[in-house]
Amino acid sequence: MFTFQRVRGFLFYLSLFLFFGGLPLILSFALGYKFNPHTFKFVKTGLIYVKTQPEGASIYLNNKLIPEKSPASIQELVPGAYKVKLELAQHYPWKGEISVEEGKVSRMDKVILFPLRPDLEQLNQEKFSSFRLDAEKGVIYYLNRENGVVYRSNIDGSNFEDIASLPENFGGIRGWEVALDKAKLFIFNPRQIAVLFFDARDNYEYSDSPVILDYPQEKIIQVFWHSDSYHLIVVTNKHIGVIESRPRALPVNLVELSKESTVSYYDSKRDTLYFSDSQKSPDGVVYNNLYRLELNTDLYLLERLMKKKPNE
Amino acid sequence: MKRIFEIIPGGLSWGIIISLILLSIVYPVASSIIIITFDFYWIIRTVYLTTLLIMAHHRLSRQKNKDWLECCFNLPKYKDWSQLYQLVIFPVYNEGLEVLRPSLAALNATHYPKKKIIVVMAFEERNKAAGHNAAVLEKEFNGKFGAYLSTFHPDGLLGESRTKGANATWAAKAAKDYIDAQGIAYEHVLLSCFDADTCVDPEYFGCLSYHFLTSDKPHQASYQPMPVYNNNIWQAPAFARLVEISGSFCQMIESMRLEKFVTFSSHSMSFKTLVEVNYWPTNMISDDSVIYWKGFLHYNGDYRVVPLYITVSMDVAYSSNIWRTMAVQYKQKRRWAWGVENFPFVAGGFLENKNIPLFKKLRRLFHLLESHVSWAVWAVILVAIGPLPILFGGAFFSQMSIAYNLPKITGMLFNFTLLTSLTWIFLSRTILPARPSGVSWFKNVILVLEWVFVPFIILILGSTPALDAQTRLMLAKYMEFNPTLKGDKVL
Repeated sequence: MFTFQRVRGFLFYLSLFLFFGGLPLILSFALGYKFNPHTFKFVKTGLIYVKTQPEGASIYLNNKLIPEKSPASIQELVPGAYKVKLELAQHYPWKGEISVEEGKVSRMDKVILFPLRPDLEQLNQEKFSSFRLDAEKGVIYYLNRENGVVYRSNIDGSNFEDIASLPENFGGIRGWEVALDKAKLFIFNPRQIAVLFFDARDNYEYSDSPVILDYPQEKIIQVFWHSDSYHLIVVTNKHIGVIESRPRALPVNLVELSKESTVSYYDSKRDTLYFSDSQKSPDGVVYNNLYRLELNTDLYLLERLMKKKPNE
Repeated sequence: MKRIFEIIPGGLSWGIIISLILLSIVYPVASSIIIITFDFYWIIRTVYLTTLLIMAHHRLSRQKNKDWLECCFNLPKYKDWSQLYQLVIFPVYNEGLEVLRPSLAALNATHYPKKKIIVVMAFEERNKAAGHNAAVLEKEFNGKFGAYLSTFHPDGLLGESRTKGANATWAAKAAKDYIDAQGIAYEHVLLSCFDADTCVDPEYFGCLSYHFLTSDKPHQASYQPMPVYNNNIWQAPAFARLVEISGSFCQMIESMRLEKFVTFSSHSMSFKTLVEVNYWPTNMISDDSVIYWKGFLHYNGDYRVVPLYITVSMDVAYSSNIWRTMAVQYKQKRRWAWGVENFPFVAGGFLENKNIPLFKKLRRLFHLLESHVSWAVWAVILVAIGPLPILFGGAFFSQMSIAYNLPKITGMLFNFTLLTSLTWIFLSRTILPARPSGVSWFKNVILVLEWVFVPFIILILGSTPALDAQTRLMLAKYMEFNPTLKGDKVL
C-alpha cells in the first residue's frame, strides 16, 4: 500500500504540475495570445475563420499555402491585413483581403466557390435581342428586334415558337413586358405603345394585334402592366397616366410631373407606383421628392375616370 | 451554529451556479475563462482518478482468490485470529426472503469457521412480514452459525428517526447482550454491518481478520470492502447498470485516497469501537459514513478506513420500466448525496473537540465540503453553463477569439476523455461475474455499447440529486430514509 501511495503522490503532483503548467497555455490560446520565444513576451493575436461552399479549398495566406483546407481557422495571426486566396479544383479561385484584429475572429464564412463550367447549360441556339423569364409558369419570352417577332419557349429552351409579330415600322423600342395573364405584351418607344395579343382569341379583351396607343405630345419614359393585365400605367415626361390596352383608348392623366426625367418603380403585387419628382419651394429651392401612388384601392374611381361602360 | 453549517454546502453550490450564470450574461469573457479552467481541471482530475482506478483494480485483481485464512495462519502466534468472532448485522426494512436468503447463503458459504460467526437479522417491528420472515430464516439457518439472532426494532422510540442506523443500533445492543452473556471480549469481535442484499466473498472474513490483525491500532479503523453490484447486473437495465458500475468505480478510486476515505454502505469495524462511540446515530440517514466520523471524533482524529480489496456484491437498483428506474436511481443517489449531513455533524464535532489539530480539522472539512460541492456543480457547469457565454454573449462577444475557441477547446478536452472512457469500459468488463445461463451472448455487446448513455446519465444523475439533497438541507427540509427499490424487491 505504501508503494501505491507513493505512486499516487507522484501522480497527484504530476497532475498539479500539468494543470498549473497547461492552464496558462490553454487560456492564452483561448484568448488569442501567442508566446514569442524571441522576446519572451505574449503577443495578442487574432484569427481568421474560413468556410467555403463547397468545402475543401486550399488556403493561401499572403501567398503561402497553409496545411488546412476550408473550413479552417487560422490561429495566432499578428494583427494586420492579410491577403487570402482560396483555390479548389474545377472552381473559380476566390481572392480577397481581410483585416485581423487582436483577440478577435475575422470571419470569411460565406464564400462560394463557383464551378468553372460544369453547371453551364445551353438551352437553345436562336436569334433574339432580349428575353423575359416567367419562372412561375416555366416560360421564356424572347424578342427579336431585327425580324420583329416575339417567341416563347419552355424554361429548358424547348418548344421554341413564335407567338406574335411586332407592328411594321415600330422602331426605337425602349422596353417591353408580358402581361400577368400571359396573353399579351406591350412594347413601347418614346411616342407609341403597341400591345400584341398572343393566341387567346376566346378572351373578351382580345383585340386584333397590334393595338397602337399614340402619345404624340409626350415622351414615354416607362410603361407598366396593372395587375388586371388590362390597364397600362404610363410614365411620360409630363404625366403619370393610365390607359386601357384597347384600340382608340384615351389616357387618363393622374399626376402632372414637373421633372422630365422621373424615375419610377411599379409594385405589381400591390399595384403601387413609386416615382420621383421635383418640387420648387416658395424660397426657390428645388427638392427631389419620392411619391407613392396607390392604384388598387379605388378601382371604382379608376373606372369612373375611364368612363368605362358596364358592358365593355 | 448547526444551521449555518447546514446552509454552507448548498449555499456554496448554488452560489457557484448562479454566479456563473450571471457572469455568462454580464461578462461572458470572464465566464468563458472560468469554464475553460474548470473543464481543464476536470479533465486532469478525470485522468488522475482513472489512473487511481487502474491501480485499485490492479490490487483487487491481484488479491482475488487469495487464501486469506492461510495468510492468517501464517501470522505470528500472538496475532491469534482464532480468537476473533465475526458479528454480522443485516438491517432489514421490508426486504423479502428472496433477498435475504442469498445473503445468508453467501455468509454460510464463507471459509471462516462458522462457529465464530454471530448473525443478527435486524428486522423492523413495523414490517408486518418481519415475524414470518424471521421464523422462516431461523428455521433454515439456525445452527449453521455460532449464533443466529433475530431482533425486532420497535417503531417510534424517543429520539429516533426511521433510519437504518436506528435498527442497526438496536440489533448491536441485542448482540452486545449476547456477547456479554457468552463472556466474549469486545476487542475480539469484529462487526460487519451489511445491507440486506449483501453477498460476501467466501474469503471476506479471512481478509478482514488479516487486515485487522496486521493493522496498526486496529480498533481505530473501519474496514471497507469494495462494493460491486453483481447480484443481478446481467438482468438489470443498461441505465441502472452503468450507474452502479460507476458507483463501484468511485469507491475503488476512493480506496486509493486514504486521507479522504470514508466508510460507505456495507463495512466492518471493531465491536469494541462501536460500543465506545455509542453505536450508529439513530436519527441520521447516512449512518454508514457517520459511524466513521464518530470514530474520528472519538479518537481525536486518529481514526482511519482500511480498504479491503475484496468485493461484497449487492443488487442493482432498478424497476419495471426506464422511467421508474430513473426515479429509483435518482432517489438512491439523492440518499447517498444526503451524506452532506455529515458536514454539519463533523463541523459541530470539530468545534467541540479541542484535541484534533486545527490543520487536520480544516483539511478534512475542506475535503468533505469540496467533494459534496463538486458533486453538486460539476455536471451543471459542464453541461448547462458551458454553452451560456455563447448563447448570451451577443454579437460583440461572438467576434472574440475566446468565443470561437471556447467550444473548440471544450470539445477537444472532452474528446481526450474518451480515452478514459475506454479504460472504464474495459475495467467494467473485468469486474463482471460470468454470464449466467439464459442470458444471450449479445448482452456482451450491449454492455459495451451502453456506455454511449453516459452523457444522458450525467445530465440526469450527475449533479441534480446532490443539488437536491443540499438544497433540502439548506432549507431544513430534512429527508427521511427511503429504502431503494431493487428489481421487484425493496431493499
